[in-house]
Formats: sequence, structure tokens, C-alpha cells
Amino acid sequence: MADHSKVGKEYSAVRWEVERGKIRELVRAIGDPDPVYVDRNAAMKEGYKDCPVSPTFLTVPMMWSSSMPGVITDLAINFMMVLHGEEEYEYYQEIYPGDVITATPKVAAIEEKTNKSGKKMDMVTIELLYVNQRGEKVAKARSLLVERK
Amino acid sequence: MANQIYFEDIKVGTEMPKLVKGPLIKLQHVIYAGASGDFNPLHVDDDFAKAVGMKDGVIAHGMLIMGFVGQAITSWIPKKDLKRFGVRFAGKVTDKKTQGGLNLITCEVTAVDETGDVKVTGSFDAALPTKG
Repeated sequence: MADHSKVGKEYSAVRWEVERGKIRELVRAIGDPDPVYVDRNAAMKEGYKDCPVSPTFLTVPMMWSSSMPGVITDLAINFMMVLHGEEEYEYYQEIYPGDVITATPKVAAIEEKTNKSGKKMDMVTIELLYVNQRGEKVAKARSLLVERK
Repeated sequence: MANQIYFEDIKVGTEMPKLVKGPLIKLQHVIYAGASGDFNPLHVDDDFAKAVGMKDGVIAHGMLIMGFVGQAITSWIPKKDLKRFGVRFAGKVTDKKTQGGLNLITCEVTAVDETGDVKVTGSFDAALPTKG
């Protein structure tokens, strides 16, 4: 079960340079044909400085850096019993190719809940603040992990 | 690419346009794994998925479905106006207000499969320009 004593703990920051090809790869995987993500001129015509990242790009640094699996291990959560319950992003500024993003995971809450059939679950909320190379807050992510016991 | 939408164009109760995706093929799970860095074998390895109780083999990444929902949103509202986007792993406008100088709309979104089974429910906020 999740280690409740770790509420409030901050993990080491992930530093990630945003590559143009990685932005393109994610929208291709999703099958999103919007040219603003892949064509700088199309993006600039729409008022962006360059190609912006797509709405769910914030997951990419966390998965490729293995940061999220590391947090789950540190919290002593059983991988076989964990479900991704919710994911939420707040967007403060655009993220562009060449930006260097630093993301710091923090354990925001761990709550035990009992479902309708009487089974206990730990609801673990991880928050991540994403800051760019100029020290500007660009986004916030909140992931809810559900560990069945 | 979304055309500019103005605050005046939106009413509480406005429904966002539907986006139909798929059919999903296994290759897409592999492409998504590589793009996102989520290599959980549950999404790419049929033998593993069956061993952990998925009788039909691999299942899609939840974040891929969230990606589809993101595509549906930014096909309607320009990405640059999107301020918040969250999902629970059942779309219409549920709120419209001007706050702190921003003209905010809140909209519910749902992703369902071909049988009507709900896969993802969520909502997003966008700050839209006015026509004035």
C-alpha cells in the first residue's frame, strides 16, 4: 500500500529539452493532423512564436525520464494494482521547441477510500510544476493514481 | 486547425463538435508507446496483457485517449486559448463567465467507444477573445 508518510515529499526535478521531432511524433501517434504542431509558418500565422506542444505533451518528459515510475516505486505502490484515475493540466504559457523544461513532482495527497463493494483503495495525487529556462511557470499537471488493496 | 472562436459565439449549453477516431489498430499502440515513452507491456504485448487478465490482449493507453480528446478540443478551440484540461479515466458548455479580465468557458467532454461505452470523461476551460 502507498506510504502515507510521504505526503508533501518533493522529488528531484526532471530537466528536459523540448525537441521539434518529439512534438511531431506525439501528434502523429494521436493522429492529429493540425499543422500548427509541425509547420512553423502555419503556427506563426495562428499567432504562435513557433510550433506549440499539443495538450497532452506534458506526459512525455515524465515517461521518457522514468520519473513517474520512480515516484511510484518510492511510494511503495504495487505496480500491478495501480490505475491511472485522473489527469489534469493547467496551461500558463506555450512551450516551444528548444525550451528547457524543469518539472518537479510532489506528493500532494494520499487518501484511503472505500468503494461501493467495500474494497479499500489509496488515492494518490501527484502534482508537477513545469518551469522553463527563463524561470517562468509554463504548466501544472495533476495525476491521480488509484491503488487497489 | 481551429478557427478563432469568440466569447460571444458560446452559450452555456453549446455542444462542442464530435470527433470520430479509429478504428484503433495495434500498430497505433506501438507508435504511441514510442512517442510518449510509456512502454508498459499492457499496451503492446498481447501475451503479457492476457497474463494479467485482459482476455482480448493489449488495451490502449489512457493517455492516447486523452490525446484524442485533446485533438477534439483543439480542432474547435485554438490551443493558445486552452487554459485547463482534465479527464477522468461522459460534451457541452457548463459555465461561462468573465473573471480577472478573462472570458472563460467551461466545457465537458466524453470519449465513448462504438458501443457507447464511456472510456474517458473530462472537462476543459478556455479563455476566449471578445469581438469588441
